[in-house]
Amino acid sequence: MIRLALSRALRQLVLVPIVALASYYLMAALPVPTEEESKRQLSSELVESYRRDLGLGQPLGFLRPWEKLIKGERLGTTAQGVTFEEMLVKLSGSAGIGLVGLALALAWAAAFALLRAGQGRASEAAGTGLPALAFGTPAFIPALLLAPAVVERGHLLPELAAALVVSVWPGVLLGTLVADALRQELERDYVRTAAAKGLPRARVVARHVLPNVLPALLDSLPPVATTLLAGSFAAERVLGLPYFGQLYVAAVLQKQVAVVVVATTVFAALLVVVTLGVELARLLVDPRAREAGR
Amino acid sequence: MRRAAVVGWVALALLFSLSFAFGRLWPEVTARACPFGADALRPDHTVCELAFGGLWVSLAMGVAAAALATALGLAVAVAARWTGGALDRAAMRFAEAFFSLPDVLVLMVLQFAAQTAGDLNPALKVSPPLLMVLSLAAVGWAAPARMVRSRLTTLEAPDYVAAARALGAGRAQVLRAHVWPFLRSYLLALFLARVPAAILAESTVSFLGIGRLEPMSLGRYLGVSSSALLYEGGGRIVLPAWGLLVAVVLAANLAGRSLGGAAPGRSPSS
Repeated sequence: MIRLALSRALRQLVLVPIVALASYYLMAALPVPTEEESKRQLSSELVESYRRDLGLGQPLGFLRPWEKLIKGERLGTTAQGVTFEEMLVKLSGSAGIGLVGLALALAWAAAFALLRAGQGRASEAAGTGLPALAFGTPAFIPALLLAPAVVERGHLLPELAAALVVSVWPGVLLGTLVADALRQELERDYVRTAAAKGLPRARVVARHVLPNVLPALLDSLPPVATTLLAGSFAAERVLGLPYFGQLYVAAVLQKQVAVVVVATTVFAALLVVVTLGVELARLLVDPRAREAGR
Repeated sequence: MRRAAVVGWVALALLFSLSFAFGRLWPEVTARACPFGADALRPDHTVCELAFGGLWVSLAMGVAAAALATALGLAVAVAARWTGGALDRAAMRFAEAFFSLPDVLVLMVLQFAAQTAGDLNPALKVSPPLLMVLSLAAVGWAAPARMVRSRLTTLEAPDYVAAARALGAGRAQVLRAHVWPFLRSYLLALFLARVPAAILAESTVSFLGIGRLEPMSLGRYLGVSSSALLYEGGGRIVLPAWGLLVAVVLAANLAGRSLGGAAPGRSPSS
């Protein structure tokens, strides 16, 4: 099982250097302005940081942004760049919002699954309408509606509002997947057999059904994490939260090229960590995954 | 299911027509009838005028990007299946990896790189709507590629395909005569699923100020108006745009339910 886990980990980890190199060489391919042009288009400090931070013309130049970060130097311009410590602090803020968002998403999922389990037209309409409402609502819309009430109020209210707005669509997605998986398992023969043998329903669900639903729940976590991350860009921007999503958007708007390269790689690394965690958890809880890997 | 699909198609057609009519052809009619009043930052335009105009831009770009993404995905899937072996596995592994990245993130990087290149060298400048469509297609090809590749495996599995090959039919003939009739409705369903995804990704990126679309899409309109929203109360400006976005997503979802591709063994027209 350890060998299987390692081979799966390597398959996922290869994404990180690919994203790092792709984003670096995409930015390094941008035409470097001449001095005359740079006076018109960009500040000289920005052009200088572009050359310096990307290590243009140097061997192994793609390592230059990382080298600067590890040494504690500022990446980008003085006013708008970022250091390693600042990036860590912002990342932890966004991670905190993401974890609270995940907890809220699980709550939404439970509520939605219960709603779908109901009989009748109202349940069916809710089962169709709510996912469309959730999917058709980008995170910035509820953030805009909540912003006047929570911005500048402090007491972690903007953070909670951000977690709330990014959690809705992942919650509905999770609820749909879990409700479908639950319904399929409850129709299986082994459930009927267990019930026919006199086992209480709660025990049948806990002992037999939920362990078979757990892999479906685990498989949905990577897309949920992706959606939480993607929602954080707009939510943090609207609610004025100075965390990683806001850092990324500001770096793009202010043309902090090296910051964009590093931040893109960090995002990809976060997603890889989540996917790795899910794959390892899957190997632990699902004997079929262990067998399939042999 | 069939009635829901018809409702979806009708709603999509209606949204297209209304957005073109009230956003482009007769904005003055929208202005007179709008219950939400004038826009906070552009008082010479009403909220409805800007919302319907934004919907038209968002729909046009979403449809174009979804069509291009589906075509790209189909090309990659067919090429991978045709080649087979290690290239096939590598292509699908790449598509999987690409698919795992958030749309908005990749879109921002592509927009940033292309806009900066255009700013620094005018010869490389691409018009913002074309740039947005190309970026959305570059972001959206991976999902259709994975799904079409998987579907091709199913559609080439039946005995009649093996019989056709044994009788000397070439790959192109098998694709045209035996696979394509079952694949086309599946492709249309994938295209319909991509339309709202493309519109939402574009809305988010434009809202953040990274897309430079003129005339404004729904997302850009909300982004430009967001500062006024914080002080004026957001409801009357946000609600029309929100309602239109949800209507497009619901309509595309319902319309896509009628498709999904016939299964081999049944007539492709069923």
